[in-house]
Amino acid sequence: MQLTFSGQRALIVGGSCDLGICLAKEMIQEALYPILTFRSEAGRKRIEKALEPFSSRWEAVRFDFADAVSLNLLFAHLREDLDFLVDLAQGDLEGLVASVEEDEFRPYFLQNISSRAEMLKRAARVFLRKRSGRLIFISSAAAERASAGQGFYAAAKLASEALYRNLGLELGGRGITTLTLRPGYIDAGRGRRYLQGLGKEALGKVPIQRALTEKEVARSVVFFLSDIARGFNATQIVMDGGLTAGK
Amino acid sequence: MGILEKISGVLADILDVEASDIEAETYLIRDLNVESIDMLEIAVSLNAAFNIKVSENDIFLRNLRPYLIEAEDKGQAQAPCLVEKFPFLTPDRVQEILADLDSGPVLKVKDLAGFVAYQTR
Repeated sequence: MQLTFSGQRALIVGGSCDLGICLAKEMIQEALYPILTFRSEAGRKRIEKALEPFSSRWEAVRFDFADAVSLNLLFAHLREDLDFLVDLAQGDLEGLVASVEEDEFRPYFLQNISSRAEMLKRAARVFLRKRSGRLIFISSAAAERASAGQGFYAAAKLASEALYRNLGLELGGRGITTLTLRPGYIDAGRGRRYLQGLGKEALGKVPIQRALTEKEVARSVVFFLSDIARGFNATQIVMDGGLTAGK
Repeated sequence: MGILEKISGVLADILDVEASDIEAETYLIRDLNVESIDMLEIAVSLNAAFNIKVSENDIFLRNLRPYLIEAEDKGQAQAPCLVEKFPFLTPDRVQEILADLDSGPVLKVKDLAGFVAYQTR
């Protein structure tokens, strides 16, 4: 199937992670133009090293949910020209709800929910002027599958999902649609480290008996960005090999 | 192109109506059936067209009625309170609005023009 896209410029928020870089490569293959955000110098170097062979077919820009000024700089950099947004950014906060300190979870929610809402507002207004835009939020199967110690993570993911869902609900009539993808175990980045800790026991519970590859997820995201997939709007899709379907 | 003419063009484009049917006295909600999502789009377009920051609460007189209740609670006169909250409305326009409140949403195209003129003064 030949995929077609309404636009070319795709912002990948949280672009320096394994999945972000893999996604950028897949986008380049489809003649899209990824703009990857990084938070640190190390992130910028990771992106540059990985995408070096594709010079002039991508760019990278600093953006950090914890830094309000960086949001203004990001949108100044974009110059009102954006067609897609894929949001991979997610801080991690592990701990029991009754244990985590207030001065840990308050900034966590501020960054991962309020700052995200601010970014979405800015992006939506850019898309609104074009009367076209497609946004994909990468959530997690863990958002709905309760697990001790992941309450804050799940709360931030579910709140963010709600923001994306409503954006698609409110602006679908203006050509702006949203989708949340909830991947399960991915053999990349944080997921790989987690799986290394749990080993085969964790994967044994997955009906397909393996973790997802970053390429599988990245290619799925590219498909969901394409014109044919725009009917998936204001909803969530679970991509976890069947993990959360069973008991 | 004057402010009013430019605003009429923006409204015509967004609401799919003829610009010639839009006048200063046209009501946005009563006559043009503007909804909240249209307002968002209008604000974004005016921001781009005039290069001004558009507060949706201000330009669409969103808190008009709460401000009137607040003035009443404080025992203050309503008109000066509205002039203070919405400095782009002239005292005459505020009187018109106060006389028109019972007939429905009061927002008119000329209020948008007043806001833009105030922001670009």
